[in-house]
Amino acid sequence: MEHIRTTKVEQVKLLDRFSTNNKSLTGTLYLTATHLLFIDSHQKETWILHHHIALVEKLALTTSGCPLVIQCKNFRIVHFIVPRERDCHDIYNSLLQLSKQAKYEDLYAFSYNPKQNDSKRLQGWELIDLAEEYKRMGVPNSNWQLSDANREYKICETYPRELYVPRIASKPIIVGSSKFRSKGRFPVLSYYHHNKEAAICRCSQPLSGFSARCLEDEHLLQAISKANPVNRYMYVMDTRPKLNAMANRAAGKGYENEDNYSNIRFQFVGIENIHVMRSSLQKLLEVNGTKGLSVSDFYSGLESSGWLRHIKAVMDAAIFLAKAIMVENASVLVHCSDGWDRTSQVCSLGSLLLDSYYRTIKGFMVLIEKDWISFGHKFSERCGHLDGDPKEVSPVFTQFLECVWHLTEQFPQAFEFNEEFLLQIHEHIHSCQFGNFLGNCQKEREELKLKEKTYSLWPFLLDDQKKYLNPLYSSKSPKFSVLEPNTVSFNFKFWRNMYHQFDRTLHPRQSVFNIIMDMDEQNKQLEKDIKDLESKIKQCKKKQTDGILTKELLHSVHPESPTLKTSLCFKEQTLLPVNHALRTIEGSNPADNRYREYAEEFSKSEPGVVSLEYGVARMTC
Amino acid sequence: MASAPASKYNSHSLENESIKRTSRDGVNRDLSEAVPRLPGETRITDKEVIYICPFNGPIKGRVYITNYRLYLRSLETPIFAFLNEEKFNVDGWMVYNPVEEYRRQGLPNHHWRISFINKCYELCDTYPALLVVPYRASDDDLRRVATFRSRNRIPVLSWIHPENKTVIVRCSQPLVGMSGKRNKDDEKYLDVIRETNRQISKLTIYDARPNVNAVANKATGGGYESDDAYHNTELFFLDIHNIHVMRESLKKVKDIVYPNVEESHWLSSLESTHWLEHIKLVLTGAIQVADKVSSGKSSVLVHCSDGWDRTAQLTSLAMLMLDSFYRSIEGFEILVQKEWISFGHKFASRIGHGDKNHADADRSPIFLQFIDCVWQMSKQFPTAFEFNERFLITILDHLYSCRFGTFLYNCESAREKQKVTERTVSLWSLINSNKDTYKNPFYTKEINRVLYPVASMRHLELWVNYYIRWNPRIKQQQPNPVEQRYVELLALRDEYIQRLEELQLASSAKLSDPSTSPSGPAQMMPHVHTHF
Repeated sequence: MEHIRTTKVEQVKLLDRFSTNNKSLTGTLYLTATHLLFIDSHQKETWILHHHIALVEKLALTTSGCPLVIQCKNFRIVHFIVPRERDCHDIYNSLLQLSKQAKYEDLYAFSYNPKQNDSKRLQGWELIDLAEEYKRMGVPNSNWQLSDANREYKICETYPRELYVPRIASKPIIVGSSKFRSKGRFPVLSYYHHNKEAAICRCSQPLSGFSARCLEDEHLLQAISKANPVNRYMYVMDTRPKLNAMANRAAGKGYENEDNYSNIRFQFVGIENIHVMRSSLQKLLEVNGTKGLSVSDFYSGLESSGWLRHIKAVMDAAIFLAKAIMVENASVLVHCSDGWDRTSQVCSLGSLLLDSYYRTIKGFMVLIEKDWISFGHKFSERCGHLDGDPKEVSPVFTQFLECVWHLTEQFPQAFEFNEEFLLQIHEHIHSCQFGNFLGNCQKEREELKLKEKTYSLWPFLLDDQKKYLNPLYSSKSPKFSVLEPNTVSFNFKFWRNMYHQFDRTLHPRQSVFNIIMDMDEQNKQLEKDIKDLESKIKQCKKKQTDGILTKELLHSVHPESPTLKTSLCFKEQTLLPVNHALRTIEGSNPADNRYREYAEEFSKSEPGVVSLEYGVARMTC
Repeated sequence: MASAPASKYNSHSLENESIKRTSRDGVNRDLSEAVPRLPGETRITDKEVIYICPFNGPIKGRVYITNYRLYLRSLETPIFAFLNEEKFNVDGWMVYNPVEEYRRQGLPNHHWRISFINKCYELCDTYPALLVVPYRASDDDLRRVATFRSRNRIPVLSWIHPENKTVIVRCSQPLVGMSGKRNKDDEKYLDVIRETNRQISKLTIYDARPNVNAVANKATGGGYESDDAYHNTELFFLDIHNIHVMRESLKKVKDIVYPNVEESHWLSSLESTHWLEHIKLVLTGAIQVADKVSSGKSSVLVHCSDGWDRTAQLTSLAMLMLDSFYRSIEGFEILVQKEWISFGHKFASRIGHGDKNHADADRSPIFLQFIDCVWQMSKQFPTAFEFNERFLITILDHLYSCRFGTFLYNCESAREKQKVTERTVSLWSLINSNKDTYKNPFYTKEINRVLYPVASMRHLELWVNYYIRWNPRIKQQQPNPVEQRYVELLALRDEYIQRLEELQLASSAKLSDPSTSPSGPAQMMPHVHTHF
């Protein structure tokens, strides 16, 4: 690589940012084509992907060396002290180059090779099929159909090829409407609620200015409300604050005038724009990065950053959306300015509240593919994959993940996945290791030939599914079909494991979730053993009655008797740490001393300690 | 927040057991003459009424109408605990036996003896009868030390480390005063404490108060151990504020969650209560004490002003971190009984049982704060405590409820005088007779583990399930879904194991029954044995 001048620097110090006593680790820093690697004297490795680097700073020279501070997009901050200034300068320059690539082709995804053959790669890309997803929702049907208007990206470049529109909306109406909508993003179906026959539609703001009208657009909205046989009026949600929407009118854009559209109920929900969100996160991180933070600084900083207020605003909008459909049976059209940031947040979160499928691991992937990737949320610009306009960077998707996290906190039984799953996805929207999040829209992705040149993230997450399972998930409980979150203020908490995930001052501790997972596994094994044994007994019985039980059979049964098998498998797995086994001695059958022998067997294994380092990806990427 | 410290009849307990209230002796005495009257004020009429108190609900009473005023005299009996006739199959008063508890700690030993000097509460009326003091300090020494400690609360042992034999000692402030008085006996006594462990060169003194408060206390005759007078000691201030600050802080917590939860500026409102900041300081102090004893291998002396509020918080939390025994249900009961009840935390004054003066300056949620700290710890160490959240909430409910005698009166001597153990039921009777309700299914016994909670802002939370539990907008998931799921799995496992065993027996019987080979059953049995 032409950017790398120094590949290895020894005697580098890594400061522990969280400890109060200024501890540091000494080790060697390596610079590879894709990663910055630090190996300390205990051979512990810290990998930092170049694409994760948000900011590199070289601070003023000190007596111990030249400090180099690296801020990452996954909220890790590392503080190195390089003994020689020249080395530091070389690394600094290399990182500046490597972390901000000019071309897509230089991103990690194009060189990442997990040793899979092409057919497997293609299979991976086909894992999520959106046509299949619309079929699951129940479209096309008598009211909604697939439109071929955008087959060649002629009407809207940032939309996918396949769009679902009301059956009665003809192509001229669609074309006309698209001309009246910012970036041609006309109203299309995002989610169809099968039981209520109501739809979530999405679009961008109308080019209404102060008084402009468009009959086709009015027709299209009417078509959407007619496609709902139950309720004739529909909601139009403008997710912006009213003031912003009004300001947009001066630029010839704006919002729908209720007088021009029949049967619409217009509503502002007041989510701030990407610039506000960016600086809010910046403030949050400043508070968070402060060492030895006092209680009052933490809370006042958290509050003045406004971050949790913004999260609440997004959540409130989604709740409004879900209520309109569940309570009033009304279809809803959602837009913001261009319809790819706030609109994606609200549509996807609303669907998540309404449809339990999206709360499964696979379903969540589908949701992201549908409302974010295919509808052109500008991942590359928002995440700053390339060296581009810093004003386009904004944590819109991070906010979505945080909203989902808040929901998992409020409804611990409603989600198939756990927090790590969300963190892992967040890790990869910035890692550029997989092709899913590269580019800003489907058209761009096709031009980049991502499906041929890169891998999809989803099959890798699915392979690791076990790590992301929520042990409390109860899929069948009807209680959780539609989520009605409570947005009372104290329910919004600082997401420590996201913004503070690299804090090592917290002792590694046994996670109750792991205990539950292990217990679940063990039970499954027992269940299997019972079945095995039952079938064996049944066989024996049959044979006995047939009177053909012979000596040979008896001998052949013994070695593979399920009892033997189970005790073996328990020995190997040692599913529960010793203390658990001890606990169950008291809890279950006190007279039974055989438990105790078992406990001794378990005691050979260390109690399972959960490492705070997440994910294989951090190790591999 | 309904359990604000000031409310006296607030007995919204979690249990709704029907309670027989039959005994009414001494209640129907004619009280009319006891109405204080001004000269010239005459009684016109009186009538028995029920007064619907906006705070305490209906109160039975007699209303007196004089030519000057309305006067309501409550007919509510003395504290309910004395009327309570509940029967439990275990006696909670038996939980704590000081001699046994000290024996568990390995006391007395070569350096520490159990003293009965306070048998009749003569040395110190707010201390328990039984004290553990250095072997080398004579009873006369103790008496002389007592003159130099506020309220005669001399340094006595709370806990001894089983291995390195360092100790946690508690007391009240020394009576240094403005002039900087010294007391040779006190100085010598502290040195004797230090010398009970040969390895240490300095005795660490933790003064729980902020430095300025300690200095200010000199004006009223108190103060702290100065370097000049006490060689071989190190003094640290832990900056924990006094009972008045804590009371005001909790009041602010109440204001932001009741009747409506503050919405628009939740975080800064929460910050302005400083409640979590106080929690953080108390926890940080306790961590320092525990760390000094465990890792620093130094004996520690803890005091505040009188040694019954902040001192009790610090010693009990440190002991909870150091000694896994106290993390069991009975151990925790013993801890509360020992460090709080027997050492004279003034429950009656702090809570105001049966006292109508709700604004009394003596009220303070010190014990609540301690329980909050325990809750914060249990959040950080979900497997370390035998008890669950319900256990803690139940304790707090009955801290105010007066259904049990456990928290009545200010000190042991008063309790003895009132024969509390004979006339009332202990809270631990209720809890221990129904232990399963209060058990944490994730509890794993770890004998020698010292817990060091993280007292960082990012890890402390407002205890919503306690402070905001009456708010209908919070959906409490009862029982806790995590616990519930685990209990289900445990039950399922036991069921499986049982069935598996039955099946194994059946199959071995099946197989061995017609078997001609004698080795068959013999071979089977060991498997059955090793497998559960």
